[in-house]
Amino acid sequence: MLARCANGFGAVALSALLRDRAFAADPSAAGTHHPAMATSVIFLYMDGGPSQMDTFDPKPRLDREHGRPIGVKTAPTQFNDVGAVLKSPWKFRRYGECGAPVSDLFPNVARHVDEMAIIRSMTSEFSEHTTANYFLHTGSGLQGRPSHGAWTTYGLGSESRDLPGFVVLSGGLIPPGGMDCFSNGFLPAAFQGSVFRPSAEAVANIRPAESAPGGQLRKLDLIRDLDRGVADRMGRPDALEAAIANYELAFRMQASVPGLMDLDGESPATKKLYGLDDEYEPTRIFARECLAARRLVERGVRFVEVLCPSVGHDRWDQHSDLKGGHERNARAVDRPIAGLLTDLKGRGLLDSTLVFWGGEFGRTPMAQGKDGRDHNPFGFTVWLAGGGVKGGVTHGETDDYGYHAVVDKVEMYDLHATMLHLLGLDHERLTYRFGGRDMRLTDVHGEVVTPILA
Amino acid sequence: MWGRRLRAALGWTAWLALATVAFGDEPADPAAVEFFERSVRPILVERCVSCHGPEKAKGGLRLDSRAGALAGGDSGPAVEPGDVDASMLAEAIRHDGDVRMPPRSKLDQPEIDILTAWIARGAPWGPEPERPAASPKGGAFEDSEEFARRARSWSFQPIREVEPPAVGGDWPRGAIDRFLLAAMAEKGLEPSPEADRRTLIRRLSFDLVGLPPTPAEVAEFLADDAPDAYDRLVERLLASPHYGERWGRHWLDLVRFAETSGHEFDYDIVNAWRYRDYVVRALNADLPYDQFVVEHLAGDLLPEPRRNPADGSNESIQGTGFFWLGEGVHSPLDLRDEGARRVDNQIDVVSKTFLGLTVACARCHDHKFDPIGARDYYALAGFMRSTRIQQAFLDSDVRIAPIVAELEERKAALAAMLAEAAPKLPAPRRAEVEALLSAPEAGAGEARPAPEDLAAWRLSGDAFRARPTVPFRVEPSRLVAAPAGSPGSGWISDRLQGVARSPTFTIAGSRLHVLAGGAGGRLNVVIDGFEKIRGPIYDGLTVAVNHPDAPRWITIDVAAWVGHRAYLEACDGATPDFGGSVATLVDGRGWINLHAVRLGDGPAPPAVEVPTAVAVDPADLVREIAAVDSPLAARIAAALEEHREIEARIPDPALAPAALDGDGEDEFLMVRGSPRTLGDAVPRRLLAILGGGGPAPDAPGSGRLELARAMVDVRANPLIARVLVNRLWRHHFGEGLASSVDDFGAMGREPSHPELLDWLASEFVRGGWSLKAMHRLMVGSSAYRMVARATPDADRADPTNALLHRSNVRRLEAEAVRDALLAVSGRLDRRAGGPSVPPHLSPYMEGRGRPGRSGPLDGDGRRGLYLQVRRNFLNPLFLVFDAPVPAATTGRRHATNVPAQALALLNDPLTVELAGAWAARVLSEVSDDAARVERLYQEAFARPPTADESARCLAFLADRPAGAEGAWAELAHALFNVKEFVYVD
Repeated sequence: MLARCANGFGAVALSALLRDRAFAADPSAAGTHHPAMATSVIFLYMDGGPSQMDTFDPKPRLDREHGRPIGVKTAPTQFNDVGAVLKSPWKFRRYGECGAPVSDLFPNVARHVDEMAIIRSMTSEFSEHTTANYFLHTGSGLQGRPSHGAWTTYGLGSESRDLPGFVVLSGGLIPPGGMDCFSNGFLPAAFQGSVFRPSAEAVANIRPAESAPGGQLRKLDLIRDLDRGVADRMGRPDALEAAIANYELAFRMQASVPGLMDLDGESPATKKLYGLDDEYEPTRIFARECLAARRLVERGVRFVEVLCPSVGHDRWDQHSDLKGGHERNARAVDRPIAGLLTDLKGRGLLDSTLVFWGGEFGRTPMAQGKDGRDHNPFGFTVWLAGGGVKGGVTHGETDDYGYHAVVDKVEMYDLHATMLHLLGLDHERLTYRFGGRDMRLTDVHGEVVTPILA
Repeated sequence: MWGRRLRAALGWTAWLALATVAFGDEPADPAAVEFFERSVRPILVERCVSCHGPEKAKGGLRLDSRAGALAGGDSGPAVEPGDVDASMLAEAIRHDGDVRMPPRSKLDQPEIDILTAWIARGAPWGPEPERPAASPKGGAFEDSEEFARRARSWSFQPIREVEPPAVGGDWPRGAIDRFLLAAMAEKGLEPSPEADRRTLIRRLSFDLVGLPPTPAEVAEFLADDAPDAYDRLVERLLASPHYGERWGRHWLDLVRFAETSGHEFDYDIVNAWRYRDYVVRALNADLPYDQFVVEHLAGDLLPEPRRNPADGSNESIQGTGFFWLGEGVHSPLDLRDEGARRVDNQIDVVSKTFLGLTVACARCHDHKFDPIGARDYYALAGFMRSTRIQQAFLDSDVRIAPIVAELEERKAALAAMLAEAAPKLPAPRRAEVEALLSAPEAGAGEARPAPEDLAAWRLSGDAFRARPTVPFRVEPSRLVAAPAGSPGSGWISDRLQGVARSPTFTIAGSRLHVLAGGAGGRLNVVIDGFEKIRGPIYDGLTVAVNHPDAPRWITIDVAAWVGHRAYLEACDGATPDFGGSVATLVDGRGWINLHAVRLGDGPAPPAVEVPTAVAVDPADLVREIAAVDSPLAARIAAALEEHREIEARIPDPALAPAALDGDGEDEFLMVRGSPRTLGDAVPRRLLAILGGGGPAPDAPGSGRLELARAMVDVRANPLIARVLVNRLWRHHFGEGLASSVDDFGAMGREPSHPELLDWLASEFVRGGWSLKAMHRLMVGSSAYRMVARATPDADRADPTNALLHRSNVRRLEAEAVRDALLAVSGRLDRRAGGPSVPPHLSPYMEGRGRPGRSGPLDGDGRRGLYLQVRRNFLNPLFLVFDAPVPAATTGRRHATNVPAQALALLNDPLTVELAGAWAARVLSEVSDDAARVERLYQEAFARPPTADESARCLAFLADRPAGAEGAWAELAHALFNVKEFVYVD
C-alpha cells in the first residue's frame, strides 16, 4: 500500500501546485534565497496583549508618578476610560550575563535572557484585537490573508513526511478573528494552518471511520485497485495521480498525529521540565502544547503556533485586575516556555528553531479604570530566541512611560521580514501572484532588524 | 551607535562633494550659515535625507535643499520659515500629530530643539548643492505619455469584429471550433476525438447544474437517436432550476459572498441570503448581463425596477446587496480609516468582478502597470461615499400597501364618525376630539439639506409619514393627536416598519440633540458610514427610544467625532442592532416620532418647546358618546374593532441588504491612501481609460445609475463583455482564454486566442448579453465534446493544452463534491432558496462568535449553496477542497491535492453517514448483488462497472465479516473515495 510514498507532505502539495498552470509559470516558492539560520519557527502567541511595563520593559517613571495624570497627550484607546499612571505591581531583577531586567512574572523564562533578543520597540497599527491579530499573523489588518505560517510553508515546503507544514496547537482559546488568523488566504489550501487540539484526536477526521481492525486497509486496497483502472481510462492525468498519492499520506497521518500527541514516551524528567506535573491546570495544558511543539519541530514541521490556555476568564487582555490576570497568565506559560527553551537547547534544536514570543499589541502605562490597562499598539515588547538570533540583546526603546516606541522602532513588517530572513527567505522575493499583484507578507514594507541577528 | 555616526560622516563627505558655492535665496548671514552647517545640516543628513533626498523622496519631500524643505511634499510645505507652529516638520519631529518623523526613532530632545530653533530663525541654509531635478509631479496622469503607452494594452482596445478563419473538414461545428482548429493546425495538432455519450452527459451535468446525472437521465440520452439529442440535453439542463444554483455559486466567488462580517464577533449580515437567491433567479431567468450589472451598481435607483414574476417583489434593488458583503471591524478606533478600508474592498470587488482590473492598486499612488490613476480610484470612491447601506423593503407595494389602504379607509371613516360625534360631547372632551381631528400644520423647516430640517429627511419603508393623512394614531388604549411637522412611524400602524434618515452633515459641535418620542424605536448616528454601532467605543451613538407618553430630548455626545461626516437614523424596525453578541433587527412593532433636531456644543438641550400629546381613551370616548348617541357609539366601536382586525393582517416586510442613495459627495484624493492627508476632491466618474462616464457635476444623489450605464457601454468599456465571456469559458473548458480571469491588466496573461475572445465578446453583446446563449455556443462546440485522455505526441506539442487539443480532466469544486455525495446517496433536498441552513459545528470549530447551536450534520440535505457562509466558521470540507476564503474576488479557484481531502472523504461522519444511506437505498431497490454493484456505479459514475471492477467489488463484499448491510455501506463508502467520484473527464 505504502510503496508509492512520495517525498512527503510538502512535496506532494508542491507538485500539485506545479500542475496548476498559472502557478507553474511563476515559480517563486521552494528553496531558500540565502542560507537559512533557522529551519522552523515556534510562535508562542500571547493572545490579548501582555503588558510591556510589567514584563520586560521596566519604567521607574511609573513608580514616581503613580496615581497622577499622565504627562503626555494620550491617543484614543479602545475603551476610552483613561485613568492615572499605573505603576507595575511587580519587581524587576536583572538576569544572565547580559543583565536584562525581567519582572517577577517570568522567573523561569528570565533564566534564558542570554539566549533572547528582546525587542522593546515593537509597534502595531491597530488597537483592536481582531484587526491587530490579523496584522500580527498576516501582515494585514484585513481578514482572509495568508498567515505567516502559510507564507513560511509556501516558501520552504515541509520537511515532514506525514504532518502538515503549519500546525497551530490550541490550548482551548481561539484568538479573536478565529481561524482566519491561520488561513492560507489566497495561497493554495496546502498551506492552511491545521489546528491541533490537545487530545489524541488532534484534528478532525484523523480517526479511521472503520471500527473493525484492518477494515480501513481492506477498503484502501479496494480503492487503490479501482483507482488504477480509472487512472488508466483517463490517461493518467497528473492531478489524479497526485490525488491517489494523497491517500497514502492521509493513511500515515492517521498514525502519526495521534502518536505525536501521545506524550507517554517522554521521560519523567522532560515532563517535569515543561511543567506537566504543575498543580495549576493551565500550566499543564500549556506544558503539553510546548512539548508537542518540540515534537512537531523534531518531525520537520516548519511553523508551529502555540495558543494560550484559558486561565478562567480572559487571555492577556487585562482591562481590569492587571495583577490577578497577568499573574495567572504568566503562571500558565512561564514554566513551560522555560522548559521548551531548555529542552530545545539540550537537544541541539534551538540553533535551528526560531522561538518567537509576543502578543498583538501591548498595554497602556496609564490605568484603564483603577487597576487595568488598555490596548497599546504604539510600543510594546516581543522577544525572539534561537534560530540565528543574537542572544542577550535588547533592541529599541520606548519613552519614559513605556507608551510609544521612540528608538529603533520596529514595525510588524520588520518583524516578519526578520523572521523570513532567518528562514533563508527574502521577504521582497517571497511573492505570490494574486488578483494582478505580486503579494508579499510584508506588502511594500519591511526591513530586516539586523542588530538582533547572530 | 558608532555605526550610525560613521554613516553620518560618510554621508556628510559625500554631500560635500556635491556642494557648490551657490547660496540660498536668503542673504548669507555668516552666523546663521554656521549655525545651519554646524548644528542643523548634520541632523538633516543623518536622520532625514536617506528617505527625503536624492535617492528616495518619500511623500514627495526632499530635505536636501532649502527649496525642497519649503516646497514640501504631498502634504504641503514642510517648513514655514519663522513660524514653528505652522511648520509640519516641527510637528513631525515632536511626534505630536499623525505624521511622526523619523518614523523609527524619535530625535533626541536637543536635536528637536535645534531644528525648532532653526525654523524659528527663518530656516537659514548654507551653500546649496546643485539643484536636483524636480520630481516628476504635476500634470494629470491620464494626459501623460506613460498613460497613453499603457492604454495601448490589448484589453483596452475596442472589441474587434472578427471573421472566424476559413478552415476545412467536418470537425468544426461553429465559429469557436474554427478559431481553435486554425490555431491547432499552425502547430500541426489535431483535435481529439469526441467523447462517448456517458462521458458527455456527466461532463455536461456537472458543468451546467453541478450535479451528477441520474441513471434514468443517462439511459434516456443513450437511447435518444435524434440528431439533436445533445442539443436537447443542453436545453434541458439550462432550463433546470439547478442551473442558477450552479452558476450562482461561481458568481458568489466573485463578490466574496458571506453572511457574516467576520472579525471579533462575526456579526450576521442580516438577510444576506436574499442576495444569493437574487443571483440564482437572475441566472435562471437569463437576465441580460448588462442589466444584471446595472442592477448590481444601481438597482435601487432604477425608475422601473424589475419585478419578481411570482410575487411582484422588487428584484432590481437586491442586486446592490453585494456592496455590503465584506468584512466589518468591531469597534475600530478610527472611523475614517475604517470607512476608507470598507470602500477599498468595495472598489476592489467592483473593479475585479466587472472589469478584471485591479483598481485598488491605485489607492496610494497611480497604478504601477495599468492606465489607472489614483484619481480614478477616488473618482470611484466618491460613489461609495455617497451611498448608504439599508435593509430595503422588497414587497411594500404588493403585500403591504393594499392592507394599508384598507386601514386608512377605515380610519377615515372613523374620523368622520368622530367629527359627527364631537359637537354632541361636553366641552373638554369635544376639544380633545377636535384636536385629534385637526390636520397638523406643516413644519416650518427651512429647505436646506441639514439634519435640523426634518422635511429633508428621507423616509424608507412603510411606516413613516411626514404628515399623516388621517391625523391621529390608534393605540389599543389611546387615540393620540399628531403634532405638527414631525416624521413619525406610528401614524398608520405600529405594525408597519420604516426608517427615516437625515441628510449627511459634518459634525460641527460636540452634541446632537434630538427631540423624539416612541416605543421600541432606535436612534443611530452613522459616522463615516460605520453602521456596526456598539460598545465599547460607540455605544453612545445608538439610543433606544422608549417613552411613548411624551417626546423627550435625547442628547448624544459626539465630541470625539467633530469634523466627521455623519447622518442620523430614526428606526422603527428594518435596521440591525449590534448591541448584543449577535446582530438582530430592531423591533418593528414599535414606533418613533421626531420633533426636532439641533446640533450644538452645550450639553443642555435647546429651548424648544416639548409638545404635549393629546390623547383620548377610546373606551371612555365610546362610553361618553353612547350617553348622547348610542347608535353612533356602536358604529364607532365597530369601526375601531374592524381597524384592529385589518391591522392584525399586516405582514412583516421582506427585507434585503441594499444600497440607498445618500447625498452626492465627491471623495478627496488621499495622499498615499491615508485619510489624514487629503488632496482635492475628485469628481465621481468611471475610469478615464473606460470613457470616464458619470453623473453631471451638480446632479443630486450618488450618480450610481450613471456609473452603471457607463459601465455597460461596451463601446467605451470593452472589458465588461470580454471579462465575462472569459469567465464562462474558464468554467466550461477548465482555463480562461486569458488565464488571469480577474486581471486583464498588464500583470495578467494575454489571451491564448485573442480573436476568439473578441468574437465571443461581440457575439455576446449582439445576442443581447444572454449567458445562456453563450453556454449553448460553448458546450455546443466540437471542442467541448473532445475526450480528455492525453496522447503523448499531442501533449508534447501542447503540454499545457493551451490550444485545447483535448478536454481537461477536472476536479469538482468543493460544493459540487458535497452535492454529489448527497445526490448519489438519495438524501439531496432539491428545494430552492430561502434562509440559509446554519453550519454544522464540529468540536474543532472554536472561537468567538461561535453560534450557540450547531446546524444539522447533513445541512438538511440542502445543496452547498444554501449552507450559511459564516466568515469565522467556514465549512471545513469546503475549505479543504479549495473553496475560497470570502475576502476578495476569486474567479479562479485552486484545485490542490491535500491529505485532508482524503481524510474528509475517508473519515468524516457526513461521508460515512451518506454512504450508509446510499447502500441501504440500493439494497432495498435492487435484489441481485451484481445488479446492485452496477447500480452503484451507474449512480456514482454514470457508467456500468467493467467486468474487473464488478468482480473486485463482489470479492470485497464476500470477504466482509460484517453483516450484509454493513458490507454494502463499506463498498459504497469506498466508491465515494474512488477518484472518479471527484474527477470529471
